[in-house]
Amino acid sequence: MNEKLIEAKNYLETYDGRPLRIMEVCGTHTHEIFRLGIRKILSEKIKLISGPGCPVCVTGVGYIDKAVFLAFERNAIICTFGDLIRVPGTEMSLGEAKAKGADVRMVYTQSDAVNIAKENPDKQVVFLSVGFETTTPGACLAVKKAKNENVGNFSLLMSNKTMPNAYEALKNSADAFLYPGHVNAITGTATLEKLKNEGVSGVVTGFTAGELLTALSVTVKNLQKDEPFFENCYPRVVRPEGNIKAQKLMSETLIPCDAEWRGLGIIPGSGVKLNDSYSEFDAEKKLSVPDIKGRPNPACRCGDILRGGCLPNECPLYGKICNPLHPVGACMVSSEGACSAYYKYSQI
Amino acid sequence: MEEFITLNHGAGGKQTSELIDKVFKKHFENPCLTSDDASVLSVGNEKIAFTTDGFIVSPYKFNGGNIGKLSICGTVNDLACMGAEPLYIATAFVIEEGFPISELEEITSYMEKTAAEAGIKFAAGDTKVAGKGQVDKIFITTTGIGRITQRVNLSGANAKPGDKVIVTRDIGRHGSAILIARNEFGIDSDIKSDCAPLWGTVKDMLSVSENIHTIRDSTRGGVGTVLYEIAGQSNAGIVLDEDKIPVDGKVSGLCGMLGLNPLYLACEGTLVVICPPEDADKLIETLHKGEYSENAAVIGEVVSDYPGKVIMNTEIGSQTLLPEPQGELLPRIC
Amino acid sequence: MCVGIQAKVLSVDDDTAVVDATGAKREVSSALLDDLEPGDYVMVHAGVAIAKITSSSDEETEEILSDKKS
Repeated sequence: MNEKLIEAKNYLETYDGRPLRIMEVCGTHTHEIFRLGIRKILSEKIKLISGPGCPVCVTGVGYIDKAVFLAFERNAIICTFGDLIRVPGTEMSLGEAKAKGADVRMVYTQSDAVNIAKENPDKQVVFLSVGFETTTPGACLAVKKAKNENVGNFSLLMSNKTMPNAYEALKNSADAFLYPGHVNAITGTATLEKLKNEGVSGVVTGFTAGELLTALSVTVKNLQKDEPFFENCYPRVVRPEGNIKAQKLMSETLIPCDAEWRGLGIIPGSGVKLNDSYSEFDAEKKLSVPDIKGRPNPACRCGDILRGGCLPNECPLYGKICNPLHPVGACMVSSEGACSAYYKYSQI
Repeated sequence: MEEFITLNHGAGGKQTSELIDKVFKKHFENPCLTSDDASVLSVGNEKIAFTTDGFIVSPYKFNGGNIGKLSICGTVNDLACMGAEPLYIATAFVIEEGFPISELEEITSYMEKTAAEAGIKFAAGDTKVAGKGQVDKIFITTTGIGRITQRVNLSGANAKPGDKVIVTRDIGRHGSAILIARNEFGIDSDIKSDCAPLWGTVKDMLSVSENIHTIRDSTRGGVGTVLYEIAGQSNAGIVLDEDKIPVDGKVSGLCGMLGLNPLYLACEGTLVVICPPEDADKLIETLHKGEYSENAAVIGEVVSDYPGKVIMNTEIGSQTLLPEPQGELLPRIC
Repeated sequence: MCVGIQAKVLSVDDDTAVVDATGAKREVSSALLDDLEPGDYVMVHAGVAIAKITSSSDEETEEILSDKKS
């Protein structure tokens, strides 16, 4: 660490001003903050809250049920990022479905699933499309590729979400936000400037140890001024205008829709689905998926945790019936979820 | 526990131990069975080490070896970890109908070469052919016997506070080589498996130190899993320095792409060694002269705090728990 | 939510590029970036290059922390 970073770290260790609540929105931030042990070095006056920015965590139970339905009732090849394999559905996870004979394949990128569809013309191939603005353009590219190459047996089961309306829903949860750097690489920073004008403060944050410490120290310093602020602390990747080609691609293929966030409920306009020109690639329509509503455990307090209303260990299920091997709620499900990270990293 | 077997049960982590405890130990338990790499048994006045291992690697060829070489190394290394000189090995093949004989010969020639290097002799064998689709190409099981002549007492339960933790080379190579050979994720990198017979390495170490407490072959589940096993068996904590753990840049690059931690990737030629602090320097010096341990390093120490846990000193000078390995390794992407 | 890896562009062909992250090579989509050239550094997320990288993490954090506003 260079001198400036050591200074920043000391500042965060010894801060003795008013108590602050800072929400890291992004699941990868949550993961890195735990991995590096950042919470342990922060002054007691600085509290970090883990927000809802893990796509796996906020994906509803019913989504997994639909994927399992497609695997068994439509005999589809299910392609997914590894992140979703252990997420529990009402009856079973995809990992368990695979053990029972479902054809579930992990891929690195969405267009790999299009290639799998080309190699298996007599089967339906469904990609489980979750993710925020960072991940969504890849799904759009895959759909365009499928359309251009006439791959008729490929479709997406979509549960992609967008951040801006979630910030609105969360704005009273924290004094400032660490914004998700890679989402902003796509979306740019105009929304965040606008949020500042509405009184919501935050900084765009990168993912290395140095970037996280820098963003935290900039946040704490700005919070001393008592007026809303916005800073981009990750300009090497995030430009004010974002990635215009990606934005254009998304507006050509997708339309906004209401979306259900596991733990938070329905946030209007916080999801996207394929527009009419691409609806032939919508797995739910194409393969007649019934509207399956999953059954989450009623005692689970994920909603409060995602809003910063309680800590993971304050939930009655935490560590008892809910743990990373047998997750019950959204936040324990993903390795980036607040409860999972809390469980795995903070037992010392 | 789940009602049926999932891949998590074979990943070497928590669920594997759960399965062993609840199903196998329930019916097989007796004083001969230990949690170490091989059991140590008395035959007359001699002490022998005895072990067996099944190999189902897919694909059966990878950068740095094949299933044949692996099946010899796995058993030789399990014996070596108890301080036993490998003597005899039995091999059982299950081969799928249609498997090319030329490929089988390539596998057996690797086995011949590796066994010769380790000084172990083929003493029994069996061949079964299974119908198409009943097995995936070729499975090999090897069983080995070794002789313990030196005065050693090696066990995962012997780690003591103050002991140093050594890895004998850079970690995570075999798991990386297999990930690349499977080509599921379209990633290419020139990473060679560490697959190697390590009796020579162990013999060299035992010749300079009689006080080594533990030697473990960190195979499936990687170094992280082995450290958790040792912490549990010894009821002690292990504190690692993140920046001292040797990881090849190529392994880091692959792990970065797939959101994996090299501490959980399998090795097949990497030992974890726990020794009293006064012996660490001479062991490292000896290891650095060895063919398979040029970049051996002290990566941490055993402490009395945090029994059963592995703690990491991180790059920002903080501490965090190394998460306990959980089942099958899944890439973290979105 | 979005694991990214920094990688160096080795070659570009139409809408795909081959990138190298300390030895790990993969073909990724470069459809979202204009004027990509071998030698450029990009941020890759799930097989898609999402942004060009303009400086190193160390340089950037030092600059931000030296700035008055922080």
